[in-house]
Order: sequence, then structure tokens, then C-alpha cells
Amino acid sequence: MPELSELEQQLRALAAEIEWPATPALGGAVRRRITSTTPRSYARPWYERRWAMAAAAALLIAALLVAYTPTRNAIADFLNLHTSINRTNVLPTPSPLPPGPLGQRLGLGNRVTLATARAGVKWAIVLPSGLGQPDEVYLQNPQSGPPQGEVTLVYGSRPGIPVSGETGVSLLITEVRGNVSETFFGKIIGPGTTIEEVIVGGHRGWWISGHPHAFFFTGTDGEIRDETLRLATNTLIVDDGGTIVRIEGDLTKQHALDLATSLS
Amino acid sequence: MEGRPADDAELFLRAQRGSVDAYEEIVQRYQQLAFRTAYVITRSAAEAEESTQEAFVKAYRALGRFRAGAEPRPWILRIVANEARNRVRSAGRRQQLELRLAEGFRPGDAAPSPEAAAIASEERQRLLLLINQLDEDDRLVISSRYFLELSSEETAAALGIPEGTVKSRLSRALARLRARVEEAATSA
Repeated sequence: MPELSELEQQLRALAAEIEWPATPALGGAVRRRITSTTPRSYARPWYERRWAMAAAAALLIAALLVAYTPTRNAIADFLNLHTSINRTNVLPTPSPLPPGPLGQRLGLGNRVTLATARAGVKWAIVLPSGLGQPDEVYLQNPQSGPPQGEVTLVYGSRPGIPVSGETGVSLLITEVRGNVSETFFGKIIGPGTTIEEVIVGGHRGWWISGHPHAFFFTGTDGEIRDETLRLATNTLIVDDGGTIVRIEGDLTKQHALDLATSLS
Repeated sequence: MEGRPADDAELFLRAQRGSVDAYEEIVQRYQQLAFRTAYVITRSAAEAEESTQEAFVKAYRALGRFRAGAEPRPWILRIVANEARNRVRSAGRRQQLELRLAEGFRPGDAAPSPEAAAIASEERQRLLLLINQLDEDDRLVISSRYFLELSSEETAAALGIPEGTVKSRLSRALARLRARVEEAATSA
């Protein structure tokens, strides 16, 4: 592509002309910070610190009071420690899911019908095939969410997809207009979480395996937004030409890719 | 050894052994690259200065994890860029400052005619304006590669993406920029 080469030459030439702000001299400031913070923890022995002295004094007074028998009995009477209480061991029972809609506790917006959601946004909401209709649909309004709203499809128990944690939800599919901000992928990656670039139906996608908790994208207003991944489990993100589709669920990569491919 | 500037490996080794002087020299050696990288990300000189300073303090505390003999530039850039991105995120909105051309710059050795210089200057201004208008990912990858002149490895470190993704992202960003250049040319 000769045009690209020409463009690249222009960009290289432009580099010399960029007006950068003056680089501040940071050596001294950094030196002061590292030398003032590093030795501080070693500078004073523990017994010279006020809080340590106060704590030691309080402990000494408490020990003296407890060692003196009449005082000990008075304290025990005051605290009602001489009363014997028979306790029956109660085994904790698993807390059942509270009644009500599955997605209500996940902060997904207002619960609406699929038809209302379709009427409320400017893009075509897509659904995977083979899972039937979603059990619940939520619409996040622009006032409280991204500039063109956000739709989340909630699927309860579905064959072959484990329910995630205590949510009662197997699958969340979230759709929003914007662009994926790969710049922030570094914040998603953590211990046990990896990101792999994939292609889904010709669109770019990312398979996030592990326990991601956040996701970043650029909204249609150019603002960078971060959202909580509600299930904190495997997530497939597809940048479907301006609509970001997020599939969260305890799925294998292949299952997630199959679902994403079936979106229509 | 006196009079010979220490190489990076030597400076890092000394800094890892506790030499603050050596670390201060590392800071001086890399502060321009780090500051400009932070500026491209934050679009604010003040934010760039704060994030660069904070990053160098964090890097000092992480010196123990720097592998002897490794390239320091990607290591430093990764820390600086992470800090800069954190600041952008906590600021809640992006700064609107844009990269600009230095005034009175005359590229090349030959002195062009005033008319030719004016046209060339306009073209460069237009190209920079189009780059500033690109979406964040495109702007960052182009700025990293051409304006900061980072290698693929360094760009990957600065953008927090795998090195294998840099080439494809750059190629797409250039294609989009070219489309905008052509669009601007036809509408002019």
C-alpha cells in the first residue's frame, strides 16, 4: 500500500515537529520521596512511637486490674461472666436466594420486556439461539448509564451452563454502543485471569478467562466507562461494529464462541 | 571508570543494591520518554508530571523485580503508562488538550519559499488535527510508534496489550487515518 508508506513517512516527519511540554526535572523530587519514605520505617524504634507507648500503658493497667482478685470479680460481675449459658450448636444453613427477579440484585437497571428494550434503544438487540427467550431483560437509561443506554439479558438455569455463584444466573448478555478500550485490559488481567484476542463472525473479540471484575469501554460520547462484571467469571466480549456484546457465564471458550456466533 | 557514563545495566545493578545516586541517574535518563508517554495518555502536562513522578517512586520500590540484563525501557514504560491510565480513569473524564506543532518549525535543510512552507505547514496541521480526532486506541498507537518512536515491545508495554496485537492495531489505525485524510482531501 503506497499510500500507507507515504502516510508513515509524513508521520515520521511530523514527530520532529510535535510541541511537547517541557520535561520537568524529576530526579530531585523522586530522590526526596524515596529517601524520606524508605528510612522512616526504620528510623525510630517501636518504643519511641507515641501510639506504641499508649498501647503499652493501657495493657499494663488492664493487666494490673485483672491480677487483683476483688477487681477481677467486680469486672466479671459487671460483664455478667458468672452466669452460665447453655448454647445449642446451630448449624448454619445455606441462605436461599431472596424472592424476586434474578437480576434485581445485580443493579442492571430497570426491568422491562424485550419489546420495551427494543423500542428504547437505537440499535438492534441480538439474542443467542438455542437458549430460548431470556428470563429477564433490563434497560439502563442514558441518565444513569451509557449515552445510548445499555441492555442486559438475564438467563436463569439453562442446561449445560452452571449457575454462577449465588446469583441464580447462568448467563448475562449485555449490549451497549461504544468501542472496547484495550488500553485498560491491563487492569482486568490479574492472578488467574487471562485475555485472548478472538475473531467472532469477522468481528474482534476477547475471551477473558478467570475472574475478571471490571470492564472498560469508550462510550459514544468519547468518555471512558468502567463497569462491574456482575458474575466475575469467564467473559467473552465482541466488538460488533459499534455495539459491544458481553457474554458472562461459567462457559467454556468454545461454548461462548458458539453462543456469540449464533447471536442474531 | 571515572568519566565514563555508566550503562543501564550497571546503573540498575547499583540501584538494586541501594544506590540512590544511581537511581536518580536512571530517572534523569528516562524522564523525558516517561513524561511524554504519560502526556500522550493523560493529555495534560500536570497529570503527566504527577504520574511520571509517582511511577518512578513505584518503580524504585519494584526494583527488586527488575530482571538483571533486561531492557529497562519497556519496564519503565509499563509502570509509567499504568500510572497515567489510573489517573485518567480516576479523573473521570478525558482532558481535551491536543498535540500541537511547534511554532516556526522548518523541516529540512533547504529553505522553502514562503508559499510552499505555508502549504506544508497547513498540511501538517491538518494531519495532526485528524490524529487528535481519532479514537483513543488509534491515537495512542500512532502517537506511541511515530511521535514517541517506541518499538513494538515498548508500545505494547505502554498500551498494556500483547506485542502481537500492536502490529494489527497500528495497521487498522493507519487505515482509518488514511481514510480520514482522503475524506478531508476530497471535501476540501
